[in-house]
Amino acid sequence: MAAIRNQIRELRALREMTQQELADRIGVTRQTVIAIEQDKYSPSLETAFKVAIVLGVSIEQCFQYDPRGKR
Amino acid sequence: MAISLSYREKSLYASLAVELLVYGPYFFLHRQNSINKVAGMIIAIIVLQIILQSVVAALTRNRVTDERDRLIELRGYRAGYLTLASLMVVGLGMLWFHATVGRLRLDNRMVGLHFLSVFFGMLVIADITKTASQIVSYRKAL
Repeated sequence: MAAIRNQIRELRALREMTQQELADRIGVTRQTVIAIEQDKYSPSLETAFKVAIVLGVSIEQCFQYDPRGKR
Repeated sequence: MAISLSYREKSLYASLAVELLVYGPYFFLHRQNSINKVAGMIIAIIVLQIILQSVVAALTRNRVTDERDRLIELRGYRAGYLTLASLMVVGLGMLWFHATVGRLRLDNRMVGLHFLSVFFGMLVIADITKTASQIVSYRKAL
């Protein structure tokens, strides 16, 4: 399991937002949003904050750190 | 499930295809080293890259690159540099061995061309390693 996990897929689904819409609003490609949702890529702090702002939640609700997880 | 490729990924596949298409026949089919062949190959690489990259750019609407693309690019360059540095050490060791133990005449034109080809081959391997490493990075977790 990855060290940093996230709830972006669920939060995005609640807001009926597509991956492309989220990607456009935070300034990354759709492939990067897919990689983040699948825990294959941990975004920079700046992008993590942008995701939280766009989804209207705190960063802790979006991303969680698991100290037992692998990087 | 269909695999979605970003602009950078498509561009990398195009680069790898051109590199294999041009370098492959040169290194596996040619019989004699010649400066003309190397020059022809470099021109072929440039022309094919321009054509293919233009086609990829024309067929891709969203040409955004982001932090993940930049990270993968850096990792690719690191892999390419490590490959080139390792091969250079081996190549220079080989040159030294042949020149001292094997009594190789380095002022011989054909020997010079042979080593030019070997070092050019190292550059090609490093370049292919860089591109392949970037393609692999897009598919695995970072």
